[in-house]
Amino acid sequence: MDWKRLHRWLGLIPGSILLVLGLTGALLAIDPVQQAWQAPAAADSLTVADMLEGVSRTISGVEEIRRLPSGVLVAYSFDGEQPRADRIDPASGDILGSYQPSVLPRWVKNLHRSLLLGDAGRWGAAIVAACMLLISASGLVLLLRHLGGWKQLPAQVRGSSLQRVHVLAGRMALAMLLLISVTALCMSAVTLGMVAIDSDAEPGVTSLPIGQPGMAGSQIPFLRDLAVADLRKLSFPDASDAEDTWKVVSRGGEAWIDRYSGRLLAWHDATPAQQFYDWVRMLHSGEGAWWPWALLLGLTAGSIPLFWLSGLLMWRQARRDLPRIGNNSPLAQADMLIFVASEGGSTWAFARALHEALARNGHRVHSAGLEHFQSGPQARQIFILAATYGNGQPPAHASRAIARIEEQRAGALPVTVLGFGDRQFPAFCAFAAAIEQALLRQGWSGLLPLERIHGQSAQQFMLWGEALARALGEPLTLDYRPRLPEMTTLRLTARQEYPGCDDRPSVILRFRWPRAGIRDRLLGRGLARFAAGDLVGIVPPGGAVPRHYSLASGSEDGFLEICVRRLPGGLCSTHLFGLAPGDTVQAFIRPNPGFALPDDSRPVILVGAGTGVAPLAGFIRRNDRRAPMHLYLGARDPARDFYFGPEIAHWRSEGRVASVQATFSRLPGGAHVQDALRHDAERVRDLVSRGALVRVCGSHAMARGVAAVLDGILASLRLSVQQLKIKGRYAEDVF
Amino acid sequence: MNKTPLLAGLIVAGTFALPALAHGRTVTVTTQLKAYGGDGAYLALYLVDAKGAYARTLWVAGGKAKYYKHLADWNRLSAADGRRLAGVSGASVGAGRTLKVTADLADALIDAGYEIRLDAAVENLRDSPAEIRLPLTAANAGRAQAGRQYIQSLSYEFQ
Repeated sequence: MDWKRLHRWLGLIPGSILLVLGLTGALLAIDPVQQAWQAPAAADSLTVADMLEGVSRTISGVEEIRRLPSGVLVAYSFDGEQPRADRIDPASGDILGSYQPSVLPRWVKNLHRSLLLGDAGRWGAAIVAACMLLISASGLVLLLRHLGGWKQLPAQVRGSSLQRVHVLAGRMALAMLLLISVTALCMSAVTLGMVAIDSDAEPGVTSLPIGQPGMAGSQIPFLRDLAVADLRKLSFPDASDAEDTWKVVSRGGEAWIDRYSGRLLAWHDATPAQQFYDWVRMLHSGEGAWWPWALLLGLTAGSIPLFWLSGLLMWRQARRDLPRIGNNSPLAQADMLIFVASEGGSTWAFARALHEALARNGHRVHSAGLEHFQSGPQARQIFILAATYGNGQPPAHASRAIARIEEQRAGALPVTVLGFGDRQFPAFCAFAAAIEQALLRQGWSGLLPLERIHGQSAQQFMLWGEALARALGEPLTLDYRPRLPEMTTLRLTARQEYPGCDDRPSVILRFRWPRAGIRDRLLGRGLARFAAGDLVGIVPPGGAVPRHYSLASGSEDGFLEICVRRLPGGLCSTHLFGLAPGDTVQAFIRPNPGFALPDDSRPVILVGAGTGVAPLAGFIRRNDRRAPMHLYLGARDPARDFYFGPEIAHWRSEGRVASVQATFSRLPGGAHVQDALRHDAERVRDLVSRGALVRVCGSHAMARGVAAVLDGILASLRLSVQQLKIKGRYAEDVF
Repeated sequence: MNKTPLLAGLIVAGTFALPALAHGRTVTVTTQLKAYGGDGAYLALYLVDAKGAYARTLWVAGGKAKYYKHLADWNRLSAADGRRLAGVSGASVGAGRTLKVTADLADALIDAGYEIRLDAAVENLRDSPAEIRLPLTAANAGRAQAGRQYIQSLSYEFQ
């Protein structure tokens, strides 16, 4: 079942009406909260007869007394010609004030339950409630998929900020949303008459006049036994109708009482269906519930616009990212087949680059979704570009892809799989790996082994393209053009140079960004807020693909700082290295939410080598809480590439970093940062067992080495890097 | 209880268990509701005889039977009349609106101690059984009477 599509379309279309029901529902929660404050505290032992005695002294001509679910008691009477409704104190009978049914205009409730359209609208609202149930249920399935199962439910949420808002709010509100939709459906069934919950039968009893005035309510035995807390409604006998009776609606049922003798004439038990319905109504409306429940209902209803808006924006983003492929040859004629599995559409941009590059070489190329996987009569190569969704899941449209591969006999031609994913997830590119495994099991061969592309890295894709060109024996130019976010102009204010080793000098660049006006800020324009560990994307002049650099500062620091090492032939690094103060670059922020540090006081182990120390320096710089941070820093030579050296010493004296272990590989007896960790095994174990977070930044090789060393150190704690990653305690930023 | 447009000129066929209509008259009852600030009202317009016994239902405004218990007097008195709704029910009447009902009455009912009664109920507001009691006499024709809570005026005319 395509839960994602169901969730999306129900959320977008009936969801827009649900938005109205949510907003009005949030408003309607005001009444029960307000009434709960108004309700007088009545002793449990107080009887209706006691109350009537009090009321008889304060209000004359009472016709009816109702106890609202909130506990507020309302006496209805006539003051001459003028009907009155007063809130009363049941113990004394004192008038507490006049009664207003609601602080809200009536249309709010009518909009909520019938969209102001009468009975047709009630059906509409019921259908929307059913949609809400489906949206919530499918949301739960997607949430579990995203996080990786029930056990991962409390895990850290990853993804773009929109996704995170949607998923985090969903995790908090789902249970309540499910409850609200189920209770709404129950109430609709009753309102629309699909379920009858009480009998309308009237007992047809009358009072028997015996030539004397009626008995005072306070003398009637039934009312002397009935607690005020159990009362729903008490109707007084009509003064002008000698045969009229008292009528009591209580929690337990309905009673008719002779006005002269005070005898119980008839009794109808409340049906279990009625009692169930009362419960449902209380749960849904909050009336009669403990007031924080009503507040919770209101907040949950108020969260619906948040889901709707973030969902809408996510959908728009996915649509925008969906590229169109031109000159797509039919399957029967194509010699190159490309099958794509993409959740948000970004993988299609890579597929298009591959498609166009092959087409330029004269190939007839056919691209399609992975759910259509099959060979063709003319096909000579098959490529599968597969993104992994969440923690190891296939994108929704390709959920049956592996089954489809397993149904088909292997062809003689090679299939090459290219995986896309995010290293923050423990199951990095797991879907692509599963596809490759399935293909190998079926007997397919591959032209190239599985390559895993992290974070839509254009560089990695280019490198894969070079390998592919060699394997195909033809030149191949992958012209990948990602959709770039809006750019902001950064101006260089300072540069600090390091000679570096092997003719690869480095520089720490500090930029300033233009202040955004209020209008731009409201529209979300201008440079996004950022924190150390996020990335800045910079597009060099003449280039199409941004390079990403880890940020060594946050917005709060008032400057944007990165550490750049000049690579031979590196377009972007060479450009940046050549910048003089006052020069500008075009840049945007890319959040790196899994890597940023949460705002708490847990100990932190920071491991960085080379320019990878930059985000770690940023963490330390903003460690105003003085969380115990322990830095393991690797460089080659203290005189050549000890980035942030003086600053780190200063932060150490301020207590922003608890300990610093620097290793230098080019010094005599040189060591790597892994060696320092191994040397400190005991302390690392102690920190991790106390809940420490770990952040690793540097090259692939270094990150792999660090993970291997830590696995060794943590084995005696029965912990592994993989487990820490699953718990969101271990994150890497590698390049 | 939904709002409905003005119900004017409703002809109610007089084919129930009543004295033969050999000598009958058509009566038009006009009920103007107050702007009481609530949802549409449920109304029961009916006749009782000189002893206060139920005679006949003229009109019931409001479509949901489960709310009829709020029209308490009518509901109780007419409980035995299995055809009390036959052809004489319609939608609830919005605040400030007017309901016009026509019915054929035998001459024998007029000036014979019969009374036109109206019960009213509005959701979340108090029920008003016996909102109006108006003796069915030739002299009362054209005389408007106000109700206790929801009715601005009720009057009837013979044709």
